Amino acid sequence: MATASASLTQIKASAAARDKRVADRSELFDERFLKTLEHLHMVSRKVFAGNIRAERRTRKVGSGIEFADHRTYARGDDFRYIDWNLYGRLDKLLLRLFEEEEDLHIYILVDVSDSMAIGSPLPKLHYAMQVGAALTYVGLANLDRVAIIPFADRVIDRLPPSRGKNRIFRVFDFLRNCDIGGKTELAECMKAFVTQNKRRGLAVVISDFYDPDGFEQGINTLRYNKFEPFVLQVYDKREAEPNLHGDLALVDCETGDTREVTVSKSLLEQYTKAHESYCKELEAYCTKYAMPFFRTHTSIPFDELVLKIFRSGGFLR
Amino acid sequence: MSLLGPIPLGIFVYIAIGAALLAVGAYIIKMRRRRFEVPFSQLWRRVLEQKDANSLWKQLKRLISLLLILIILGIVLFAALDPTLGAVDRKARSVVVLFDASASMKATDGSEDGKQTRLDAAKARTKRLIDSMGGGDVAMIMKVDGQATPMSRFSSDGPMLNKIVDGISASDTPADLTRALGAAADALRDRKNPLIVIVSDGAFPEAQLGLVRWDEPKAGPNIEKDLAAVDLSKIDVRYLPVGRRSDNVGIVAFNVRRYIANKAAYEVYIEVQNFGQEPAHRQLALYNGDTAVDIKRIDLAPGQRLKQIYPKLPGSADNKLRASLRPVEGAGGSDAFALDDQAFALLPERKKQKVLLVTDDNLYLEGAILVYDNVDPSKITPAEYDARPQIADGFDVVIFDDHTPAVMPPPPASLLYFHPTGEHSPVKIRGSLANPRITESDEGHPVMRWVTLSDVYMDSTNTFAPDHKKGETAVAYSVRDTVIAAKRDGRRKILAFGFSLPSPGRESATDLPLRVAFPMLLVNTLDWFAGDQTDLLTTYPTGVRERIPLDGVVNATEAEVKGPDGSITKTPVIDGLATFYGARVGYYDVIAKDAKGTPIAQIALAANLASPTESDIAPSTELSLGGKKLDAPEAFSITRSRKLWIYLVLFALALIVMEWITYHRRITV
Repeated sequence: MATASASLTQIKASAAARDKRVADRSELFDERFLKTLEHLHMVSRKVFAGNIRAERRTRKVGSGIEFADHRTYARGDDFRYIDWNLYGRLDKLLLRLFEEEEDLHIYILVDVSDSMAIGSPLPKLHYAMQVGAALTYVGLANLDRVAIIPFADRVIDRLPPSRGKNRIFRVFDFLRNCDIGGKTELAECMKAFVTQNKRRGLAVVISDFYDPDGFEQGINTLRYNKFEPFVLQVYDKREAEPNLHGDLALVDCETGDTREVTVSKSLLEQYTKAHESYCKELEAYCTKYAMPFFRTHTSIPFDELVLKIFRSGGFLR
Repeated sequence: MSLLGPIPLGIFVYIAIGAALLAVGAYIIKMRRRRFEVPFSQLWRRVLEQKDANSLWKQLKRLISLLLILIILGIVLFAALDPTLGAVDRKARSVVVLFDASASMKATDGSEDGKQTRLDAAKARTKRLIDSMGGGDVAMIMKVDGQATPMSRFSSDGPMLNKIVDGISASDTPADLTRALGAAADALRDRKNPLIVIVSDGAFPEAQLGLVRWDEPKAGPNIEKDLAAVDLSKIDVRYLPVGRRSDNVGIVAFNVRRYIANKAAYEVYIEVQNFGQEPAHRQLALYNGDTAVDIKRIDLAPGQRLKQIYPKLPGSADNKLRASLRPVEGAGGSDAFALDDQAFALLPERKKQKVLLVTDDNLYLEGAILVYDNVDPSKITPAEYDARPQIADGFDVVIFDDHTPAVMPPPPASLLYFHPTGEHSPVKIRGSLANPRITESDEGHPVMRWVTLSDVYMDSTNTFAPDHKKGETAVAYSVRDTVIAAKRDGRRKILAFGFSLPSPGRESATDLPLRVAFPMLLVNTLDWFAGDQTDLLTTYPTGVRERIPLDGVVNATEAEVKGPDGSITKTPVIDGLATFYGARVGYYDVIAKDAKGTPIAQIALAANLASPTESDIAPSTELSLGGKKLDAPEAFSITRSRKLWIYLVLFALALIVMEWITYHRRITV
């Protein structure tokens, strides 16, 4: 009994120390980080040279200047857009449609649940925030409207869409100070997100996708609501290949579920396979529905990951 | 040799139960798991669902692990019971080897060439005896000299017993066989087939050899003697003799004393005996310090004892005396035992005392002091003393004649008062008496030795109220009033007479100075002040416990004894008497210290063998105890029993290693 209580005390102390470490995000976005962002921005400009900045053509008919199509005039339409030439030739009232030009909305959805607090030497949460901040910066610099939404078992907070490089410091402050912790409930969070954000756009989901209810429903919610999901899975190498042995009580850091297990070499191998299989499932799902998917572990520098994303062309088009 | 030695069965059962509970408890604790936090337990659940199919086997493996631990524990506990393979030998014996390590065992006749001592020969014979022991026999080695010292417990471990025998060294004391036999008989009480083997040269006093009984004591005139004798009934006693030669001339007595009348001179007494079968010739030398006092040749017939007295030897600065026997060239000079060829003695220390007389010309006192040759007297008047008390510094004794100074001389000067008065009296004055008579005196006090004061006349005297808490005692009384009082104040001694000596104008104060007792009284007082006791012995035989008076020691409970080899041991002091036991011949210093470590008393002593029994080294091939001749030990019966505990412990270790390997290879987890 004494051993058990000592172990419990130890794990509580360890969790408290970890929470403190994760909560301390003051050093996350320092001067060096900013320089790395600038570098990423320069690189991104070279990679995407020639692309039109902040101009995304949409199917939405609007007040643009580029002709898109005709449609039959209906009562109430603006007379100014009636194609009188066609009326003269065909004797039909047709309305000229133009492609409306609008800014791209990028939503950076960062998973801040308890499972993201795990990781060594860098917690997954910090890594996710750094990647999120980097993508935000590039987006802002490209004059896109970027919003940041941290989530766990609910949408915890929301940084409204903004544009321009100079907003990056607000982003840093937001990421530094936002609440963290809770279970992962992807489906509920995505449902809340689509309800709160009517403007469609790119939804970059940065998470470990460790949702007991599965990741599919959450991603599908984005798809069904015309968002373009961009899936970024972050994991820690030690959770993929844990260095454990002997008799252990495994405690789920989110649910508190405890499972007693004697870890042997064969069991570890099976677990590693199971983890890989889970990741593959996510990847296969994204591939199936043509969603950009990236998997990374915290040992890979975040700027390397961001460049990889740029080169794949999935983030900036 | 056994794993846990002689542990009673009851305690063993408790140990077994406790250990089993501890093992099970430890196993339960072992099953408590270390907690580890994971981000997504569902993945583990997926993996474990497959594993759970064989959980029954897993539980079984756990039980096997617990069973293995209990088996290991059982094996260890069984080993602790000291199991033996083979039939129990009913003839197995319990043996006490009484190994003679007395002085005579130092005789160099252990081998023909004289290179080995008797002790070496005794060791070889004892080891042969131990090596011949059977598997069920157990033996204890007991060293016999002035004391009986068990060197081991009963054991069948031959190499260990041999090692103990090898480590024994001979002392300079006679053997106390009675004490050793008593200790051996006690050790063998209630043991089956008890046996005592005496390995010795047989140099024991006749009185000790007779002080045993082989039967139960019977009522009758000899009952007291029987009860005092060592009970060896039902014990087989055997004798293993060592020794070859008997040629030895030794000093069997050596002592010295000062003359009572002339303490500056002394006389020496020496006894030398030829214990050999041939005439012997020796050179007997007497040394005072390094100075030879006398050297003479002595010729001794076989068995002859020569008594030599050296009278009226003049004193010298060195108080150490040494007598030595040296062989002379030619026949009759061989000697197999060197220890008794030298003897040591000490003259009680004697110091000339510086005495200061504080008096207005007292012819009786001055005359008596001047008669005593061991003082260096000086004289001043009371007025001179009062004017400059520090004048008394450096004197050993200060005598105040009819004068009581306000300032006492500093310690350690001893003080003698005649008729002290007033508040400065060294002992509190109670009152005064007219025409008193000495009715009683403390004859045990050194001052009153050989002195009688019963008919001494005094016209008047002050009486004292001695306080025992301050170290004050009454020396002489007039009925119940103290007339003469003594006091110990640290190292300083004080004597106070309540009456005055005759002086000009008071010639009839007392007739004491006209009596023979007066100079004797003064000499006794000065000797007491100097710590000089005429009857003090400073030379003792080895192997005997003596009580030595330490002059001036009141509160010390312990003294240091510095031996001839420079070793320092502690000895208890009770009522000012220190216990002294000389294990080696030579000079000793007994020093008592106060709580701060400052020496408060010291005495030098000499120890000699002085034992004709030990010096008579002629070996006894036969030995009789209580009229019964002792036989040589018979061969031990050979048993084929084998101790199993070492194999069981090795087996348990192998199981532990196996359990460790299987656990870490995840076979038993």
